[in-house]
Amino acid sequence: MSTTTKSLNSGRRVHWRGTWWITAIFTAVGLFAVWALLNLIIGGECQGECVIDTLAQTLRIATPIALAAFCGVMCERSGVVDIGIEGKMLMAAMVAYAVNLFVFQSLKTTMDPATAGIVSRWIALAAALVSALILAALHAVVSIKFRADQIISGTVINILALGITGFLYRQYLAENLPAGPGTFPIWKIPVLSDIPIIGRILFQQQPLTYIMLILVFVIHYVLFYTPWGLRTRAVGEHPRAADTLGINVFKMRYANVWLGGLIAGLGGAWFTLEAVDVFNPGMTNGLGFIGLAAMIFGKWTPFGALAGALIFGLGNSITSTVSIFRPDIPSQLPQMLPYILTMIVLTGVVGRAVPPAADGQAYEKQ
Amino acid sequence: MTLALQATGITKRFPGVLANDHINFDLEKGEIHALLGENGAGKSTLMNILYGLYQPDEGQISINGQPTHITSPHDAIAQGIGMVHQHFMLIPPLTVAENIMLGQESIIEATRALKSVSVLDRRSVSKRIRELSQQYGLAVDPDAYVRDLAVGEQQRVEIVKALYRSADILILDEPTAVLTPQEADDLFVIMRKLIGQGKSIVFITHKLREVFAVSNRISVMRSGQMVGSIKPAEATSEMLAEMMVGRKVILSIDKEEAHPQEPVLHVENLRVMDDRRHMAVDGVSLEVRAGEILGIAGVQGNGQTELAEALTGLRRATDGQVTILGKDTTHATPRQVTSAGTAHIPEDRQKHGLVLSFSVRDNLVLCSYYQSPFAGRIEMNWPVIEQQAEELVHMYDVHTPSIRTNVGSLSGGNQQKVIAARELARPIKFLLANQPTRGLDVGSIEFIHRRIVEARDNGCAVLLISAELDEIMSLSDRIAVMYKGHILETLEAQAATREQLGLLMAGVKEDLHV
Amino acid sequence: MSSSVQAALPQSKPAARGFLRRLWDAIGMSLLALVTAFLLGGLVIWITSGSFDTVVQAYAGLFRGAFVKERGLTETLVASVPYILLSLGVAVGFKSGLFNIGVEGQFYIGAVAAAWVGQAVQGVPAIISLPLAIGAGALGGAIWAAIPGYLKARFGVHEVINTIMMNYIAFRFAEYVVSGPLRDKLASAPQTPRISPAAELWTFAAVPKRLEDPLNAFAVALIAAFITWLIMRWVVGRPSMQKRIAGKSQRRAVLLGVSAFVGMIVFVGLPVLTRTWWPFTDQYDRLHTGLILAIFAAVAVWWLFAKTTLGFSLRMVGANPNAARYAGVNITRNIVTAMAMSGALAGIAGTIEILGVSICRCLPLFFSSGYGFDSIAIALLAKNNPFGIIAGSFLFGAMRNGADLMELNSGVSKYIISLIQALVLLFVAAPGVVRWMYRIKSERRPEEEAPLTRGWGG
Repeated sequence: MSTTTKSLNSGRRVHWRGTWWITAIFTAVGLFAVWALLNLIIGGECQGECVIDTLAQTLRIATPIALAAFCGVMCERSGVVDIGIEGKMLMAAMVAYAVNLFVFQSLKTTMDPATAGIVSRWIALAAALVSALILAALHAVVSIKFRADQIISGTVINILALGITGFLYRQYLAENLPAGPGTFPIWKIPVLSDIPIIGRILFQQQPLTYIMLILVFVIHYVLFYTPWGLRTRAVGEHPRAADTLGINVFKMRYANVWLGGLIAGLGGAWFTLEAVDVFNPGMTNGLGFIGLAAMIFGKWTPFGALAGALIFGLGNSITSTVSIFRPDIPSQLPQMLPYILTMIVLTGVVGRAVPPAADGQAYEKQ
Repeated sequence: MTLALQATGITKRFPGVLANDHINFDLEKGEIHALLGENGAGKSTLMNILYGLYQPDEGQISINGQPTHITSPHDAIAQGIGMVHQHFMLIPPLTVAENIMLGQESIIEATRALKSVSVLDRRSVSKRIRELSQQYGLAVDPDAYVRDLAVGEQQRVEIVKALYRSADILILDEPTAVLTPQEADDLFVIMRKLIGQGKSIVFITHKLREVFAVSNRISVMRSGQMVGSIKPAEATSEMLAEMMVGRKVILSIDKEEAHPQEPVLHVENLRVMDDRRHMAVDGVSLEVRAGEILGIAGVQGNGQTELAEALTGLRRATDGQVTILGKDTTHATPRQVTSAGTAHIPEDRQKHGLVLSFSVRDNLVLCSYYQSPFAGRIEMNWPVIEQQAEELVHMYDVHTPSIRTNVGSLSGGNQQKVIAARELARPIKFLLANQPTRGLDVGSIEFIHRRIVEARDNGCAVLLISAELDEIMSLSDRIAVMYKGHILETLEAQAATREQLGLLMAGVKEDLHV
Repeated sequence: MSSSVQAALPQSKPAARGFLRRLWDAIGMSLLALVTAFLLGGLVIWITSGSFDTVVQAYAGLFRGAFVKERGLTETLVASVPYILLSLGVAVGFKSGLFNIGVEGQFYIGAVAAAWVGQAVQGVPAIISLPLAIGAGALGGAIWAAIPGYLKARFGVHEVINTIMMNYIAFRFAEYVVSGPLRDKLASAPQTPRISPAAELWTFAAVPKRLEDPLNAFAVALIAAFITWLIMRWVVGRPSMQKRIAGKSQRRAVLLGVSAFVGMIVFVGLPVLTRTWWPFTDQYDRLHTGLILAIFAAVAVWWLFAKTTLGFSLRMVGANPNAARYAGVNITRNIVTAMAMSGALAGIAGTIEILGVSICRCLPLFFSSGYGFDSIAIALLAKNNPFGIIAGSFLFGAMRNGADLMELNSGVSKYIISLIQALVLLFVAAPGVVRWMYRIKSERRPEEEAPLTRGWGG
């Protein structure tokens, strides 16, 4: 994987043929490793079906991590450090749940439940995006206009999100609630989902996962092939140089942070619109920060971030599979694994991963 | 003849200082007008106003006879002014073409509807760059990454960047600071070619020699005011220096003969790698004796930084040996090197030499805070520290309201004096001074130079690293020229000529080409 | 900064500026931040409840609950102790250029360590078991913080992500310990066994009874002697005393003598004194001596940075690690030390929770604190000044304590406190926002805070 990431580092002049070969080989090796590992721990009970399920689960849980990482990529490429992704996702998760429920209840009277469910879910998604956008805008203003320390500003977002979601949860969402319309159903892509093994993994997922996969290509294209991306990268590396050429550094940064916020909103919505049908305080459980680690692992590129998200997702899904088959291992121990894995991966990568040069530095016009 | 540019009565105030005081400056079409002045005279401010980075408080600007306002760099570019900054405005991880097209990107027509997310047209930009390159004799490779380019090449990219935007007026801010004398000559050739093609150039420098080589007119600024304009034929170096500083200036320092004694620093075959895993110092051997100054000449980027870091323990040497007074310090920590009797005036005073948010008092004990008498085993002895700080501030004439003032609010010259005071005030056998007078005013330069010679006369071995050839030639007893990690040759200072040194700095050795 | 602007910067204004002006410089922005946060909080209450009366009732209830009602002040003091220690931990980190968000996890680890040691030392006298339990908590917290510290120093991994990861690992670890190896078999709910009574943190009310044990009296006497020794060191060091007491051996004799004397008086006299007159009645049985420990820690942190060589090098590393390297400071050692000290303080806070505050004198499964983020706000509010931290912690403790009565009286949810605290953090982190609100002009000054955001790559 690291060779692939290295060659994708500059993002341009990618030699596609070579990359695909390497990716294919690594994927094959990875699959074998997964199978071997699972069987080692579980003792032979996890064969084909089980491995495929684990891998499908990997892609599922990699979705919010990757979306968080994409948010980070957008913000940091323009020079703004974003610690507050966790908070944005948490807020989006809660808003998505609440709006979903509320809209469904009001629409149920006029339409049939199935259609009401579909409408409410997509409206809830939009609401989630807006809520994350608001937090992102706050972070943007505090960091860009008021030039506060960006890590502290991100921490403020996290605290605010914790406080607000905790407050609203206690106030309105803790008591007995009517049933909601449920999560997004799995969309089976016709034809492609019948391919053995890969079909099950790639083409039988929920919509947000597909959106995430599309976003990888979109972000890569925008960052490396368009004027917007060129200016964003310039602003993140050497804002003064960009300024002297007439580029509005502040505008670029605001725009990128807002877009990042929308993407984080997608990530947050995953929790309550795809994973489970309830909201629990703090349910994001650090996945926003793991997304940051994936971003660093991916050297601030979308494909690299996806690779990182998949690795962490793998750690997560192996953990849950193991828990199912070996109930004798206390659940908390494997639950520690994703976080330990993150720390290990970061240690190996950070020395070689160079962030955008102006990352974290507030810009001041002279 | 129309004036390409005319600025009258330009005034600019910053908190506490009048940077430009009713400056009149004009540029004729097709001329190279040199703007001379020492650090802090206000030349950069004036140029930044012309480039739209600052707005003048008073004054008028006309371009080609039309009065106008320059509101931003974007505006300046639109009006035909291009600037090559002293610190390049280039983005290292991007290619030359990307750097050049930034801000006015060419896009593939078919995707125009997508506006800011349309597809970049790299090919046509590269083509245009190659055309300009041909036309003006500026060799640049559009597809190279800027971070891989040598400094001279980067400078050419900056010039092409201005020409790409159809600049007719070019402002070059201290362009020769990072070039060898030969490369500077190449630049002058390019400049003449440019005016031959109808451009007009403002050329900012503080090096007297250069203005005679290439300018049609010389204007001198001092302390925010325009002192006067003169034609090169009518001027002498002494005249210009006096205009720059306001008093008679002794251009070279008075020093006694050196009486070198026992060797203090001995370097044997040193190899040091830089951050990008290249061998920056490739087999350097040298020796400095007590009571002499060895000057290392060379353009920045030939391994001097890494050499200094290796000698002071800030960077691991890959190979070779360093001994100070017989003690092996090849792999010593900075603290061990210091206890061997070394003083180090670092290249970047704000990054390495000082903690800007600490007071003058704290900075004066930055290296010795844990030693007696400044501290006991655990606690620091502030009264003793403060007493010594007061003495040092007095001795080194540091202009500061008190020793508790943040050192960040002092001027560059005073900051350097603090560093000098700290390093030179203790008993030392070996002084490593790396670019000790960069960015300082003439008064501070004289002061530092005198202190360095004083250290030498007190029996210290001094290794002076500087990109200013004048400084090397006036201070050193022996001169070694460094090029691409090697010491090409070591000469007696009295025997060496500028031409000789210039050739060596460009890698041209008499019997072989490196 | 270009050289011309550099030369143009004004020299700092003369030192003699008037007491009020200097006071404003020190605490003005922080006060404004507090006031503004409360104002905005009030605004939110007004909007969500619809009536202005609610705002008055809410804040009145907050005040009464924190100070006026029975045991109000006691509980406020109790609530401020963990804040003091955690904020000190965060401040030690900040001054060394490190952002230790992991105080929450280190707090947990300290609690786990104390719970384990506390129940393992049944039968051991207090003079050993209490310091042992506290020490275990400090050590646990120190190690928990030193790991991300080392990873930062050696590999350049930013401590923010790593300490957050360690937090989550700590939460899981605590859950595991309480549900598994250390579970109290006799209790119905998952929790650790009750700690030994000897390991309990003394409450002020229980002091007379505690002092009946001569071993305890001896320990207190030792502490009194130590404090006397510290004070005498300062007294003897003054110039006026220097003349009278010359010679090292003479000084040492004086110090030892006075300290021993005071120790003996305390040993004999204090138990007698407290038995006859002791102001802390049972009414204060929640107020524990951890408060003294916290204040002592604050003094120690002050002393560390104002007087010691370690404090000097830590500040250097925080302000400019490049210059610190050049000056010969061992960056790795300093970073790890700073994190370890920070973690130790957080660990002690966790210890105190178990040994002095928890009703069951054990570690339960649902042990949540939420003190972590608040302490970041306090450290910033107090600008990392230990005495400001005591004041700020008292304030936050009051808010936390009074929130219950506020909710009871006015119906406004407790979580409004979190909102206000988040706003305080926002305003302290971005003083520009407050200045913009009140149209205050700012002075351009060289940065005094150690910049935290240096990017991810170390």
